[in-house]
Amino acid sequence: MGPGNKLVELISGKRFRKGWTALNIAFFLLFVIIPTVYILSYAITDWSEIQEHVLSDPATMDLIIGSIIVAFEIATIVTIIDFVAGLPLAWMMARKDFRGKQFLDTLIDMPLAVPTAALGFSAAIFWAVTPNPPPFSLATISSPMILIILLHVVFSYPYMVRSLTAILGGIDETYETAGRTLGASRLTAVRTITLPLFRAGLVTGAILCFARSLSETGGTIIALATLYGRRMVEGDFHTGPSLIGFWKDASVSDPTLIPALSFVSILLIILALVLLLVLKIVIMRVRLPLRKVWPSPEKLLSRGLFPKIKDTSAIIFLIVIVLIPSFFIFTYVLTANPVQADWSPFIDALLTSFLVATIVTLIDLVMGIPMALYIVKNKTGRLSQMLDVLVNVPLIVPTAALGFSLGLFWSNFDPNASFPLLLIILAHVAFTYPLVVRNVVGAVEGIDPAFEETARTLGAKPIQSFRRVLFPMIKGSILAGAIMAFTRSLGETGATLAVVANANTAPVYIVELVNEQSYYLAAMACIILIIISYVFMLLLRRFTREEVV
Amino acid sequence: MPLVELKNVSKRFGKVVASSNINLRIEDGEYITILGPSGCGKTTLIRMIAGILEPSEGQVLIDGKDMIGTPIEERDIGYVFQNIALFPHLNALENVSYGPIVKNLTEGERHNVSNQYLNLVNLLDRMKMFPSDLSGGEQQKVALARTLASGSKLLLLDEPLSALDARVRVDLRYELRRITKNLGLTVLHVTHDQEEAMTVSDRIVLMRRGRIVESDTPEMMYRAPKELFTANFIGETNLLDGVVVSSGIERSLIELRDGSIVEAQPGEFDPGDLVVISVRPENVRATDEGLNSTIRSISFMGTYLRITAEADSEDILGFDVHVARGMDFNVGDTVSLGWVMESALVYPKPPGGIAEAVKLE
Repeated sequence: MGPGNKLVELISGKRFRKGWTALNIAFFLLFVIIPTVYILSYAITDWSEIQEHVLSDPATMDLIIGSIIVAFEIATIVTIIDFVAGLPLAWMMARKDFRGKQFLDTLIDMPLAVPTAALGFSAAIFWAVTPNPPPFSLATISSPMILIILLHVVFSYPYMVRSLTAILGGIDETYETAGRTLGASRLTAVRTITLPLFRAGLVTGAILCFARSLSETGGTIIALATLYGRRMVEGDFHTGPSLIGFWKDASVSDPTLIPALSFVSILLIILALVLLLVLKIVIMRVRLPLRKVWPSPEKLLSRGLFPKIKDTSAIIFLIVIVLIPSFFIFTYVLTANPVQADWSPFIDALLTSFLVATIVTLIDLVMGIPMALYIVKNKTGRLSQMLDVLVNVPLIVPTAALGFSLGLFWSNFDPNASFPLLLIILAHVAFTYPLVVRNVVGAVEGIDPAFEETARTLGAKPIQSFRRVLFPMIKGSILAGAIMAFTRSLGETGATLAVVANANTAPVYIVELVNEQSYYLAAMACIILIIISYVFMLLLRRFTREEVV
Repeated sequence: MPLVELKNVSKRFGKVVASSNINLRIEDGEYITILGPSGCGKTTLIRMIAGILEPSEGQVLIDGKDMIGTPIEERDIGYVFQNIALFPHLNALENVSYGPIVKNLTEGERHNVSNQYLNLVNLLDRMKMFPSDLSGGEQQKVALARTLASGSKLLLLDEPLSALDARVRVDLRYELRRITKNLGLTVLHVTHDQEEAMTVSDRIVLMRRGRIVESDTPEMMYRAPKELFTANFIGETNLLDGVVVSSGIERSLIELRDGSIVEAQPGEFDPGDLVVISVRPENVRATDEGLNSTIRSISFMGTYLRITAEADSEDILGFDVHVARGMDFNVGDTVSLGWVMESALVYPKPPGGIAEAVKLE
């Protein structure tokens, strides 16, 4: 018996496995959940502060309530746009075979490779009316609200299309065909049969988009700063998260802002949780009307020109609303006048960002995969059901509020931020960990446990059956989770700033450049960030594909 | 009146030919089964009639009208799916009402039609139940009621019974024929089960490798198959290798590989032709004079025993004996096997060999 076998024996022992599970759950509670909701305790311990500085100050209250309403309005509109524009594309991806499908598939994911800071800047210079609009830009949007909606659509759209495609692919097409053999036109069959069947996908997609829009901070701040052409001030248009980001910045010099900052974070967290619960219930409960049938108009819309118009406009939407704004920055750099600059601070920031993202992804994988397996394998257990719900919390809490909460929590242990890198890593783990868990849970749920059971009857230890049987089957989803976690960490601005106000990561550096109106440098920095993360994603994809287990 | 005609229909998926030059005519009110091993193109064929697939070449006519380019919902066909495909979010009654609703019948008509067909399959008491609460057989009955309620006169059944338990399958088989005959429907029933095909249909269309092998009534397909493949696929048979000694109007004499001579049906062969004899196990008997054979195995089949023996000619012969006579036979015994001349059919030996000619794939 070699040392490898001894190790397998050791980690297959009952006590080791129990201990490992306990460690996983403890990690999740201590490093993910408690830091995330720590801010809620502020309401209890420092209620008098909130009373004095916030509730009794009508101007501050107005600002808070206004910004939160705006944030929810934007998230709602964005989710609806994503759904309406995303459904036809998801349909094409799931149900049709056409030339260039593979290509379209990668195009949809491209915005995910762009850090939100870069995305915010790129979309803003494309859409917004600025004093010196760059060539080829549309420069038509002067309303901050519309600009932010357009921006949020760009980075939430891929999530919607991905969720809808996955669920649509899982629905047996026979149902729809059956409906049509009974005399329903294509549109009628889709509306009365397929749509009701994929509510679950709708919920996932809607929650992801809504949460993404509600929580996004970095890109939003950059886009607004670009529109105003200066650093943001108190009287500007603010969404909830951007207000947190702004106050967090200002609180360094003015600590009296802390109560207001806490209050808006608490409000956002609670409202987000409540609203998402409501959203879930509404979508699951409301029945689409079957009794109402409009055979002739639906028949008319099912054939001829209309489906072609629908498909074409879905692709035009993808190109004009999502892709061009994402990558407009390239055009901008090509047409602007080059500026000489010292690149060493940016390279430092870039290295920091990659270091953080890599460590964060590794921690997520090591601690997240066992957690996901635990959740799926003990599906009927109360503990695992509770964990399953709790895992979503960091996803739907606005990252700015999350970051502030994390900052408060971790500053208890390191008040002077003498280990800034560690703080940033811990903060990033909190909001990237759920991405890995969600993806792996989704994949493992879809796999027949009989495969692993067969492996066990053939004599494999649990760890061996995971490595030889389950892992090869869920590799794709683990990769997807890892890519999401990595790019989220790489692009995150709000939470980073909230933990360490003078953090030195690439997206934070880009925000600084935009605030100083060094647009050319900002654009160059964005492009470097885009290229590096895209290449990194490709390498990761290839690497995991070639490795045959 | 539904009369289906396929003219020179072919379907290719890339380089794979799923249907090749199919010509078929189905009369009004006929119950036809399309029979064949898996992958022979039978499902592709009815999918082309339904409009789920469009043929690469040829014409599909229903009531004399060319259906190419007509979408599924306008072909006025009923289709029952192998995987049943009841809408999981609707209960039994809502499933059955789906056709009447999308065809925009009035509230009263919908109610009458749905109840009538649910009653026809004896499931009125299950109308509020969801598909997941129904047994497999009940689900397929609801699916049948749903298809009938849409009012179509042409019914396409795609392996409708293959997902069900053996007993339910047999019961539902007769139910299908009774109901569709009472309603005067034209039925195309796809199956890979030759017993099912023989019990339900007016006519069997046997397919292999995307082509129609032959088509006739179940009885003729069993008793006088024109092709060796049919003889082997429908029912069971013994195939023996031989050379024609003489062949005339009264009988044929065939020499087997060990030199023994056997009798078979008359035919138009020349002496010296290589042939294959097909004789069904129920027609083979232990006789005083016949092929000298050694018993290799005995299987208990219920009312009879199936005995497999190897003749001196190296041909394998299966034959049946009543259980009561089972004591007389033991593995290793020598028996003499024979048959009446009329029950032995003769086919020219296929150039690719017997095994290739009867292979299922």
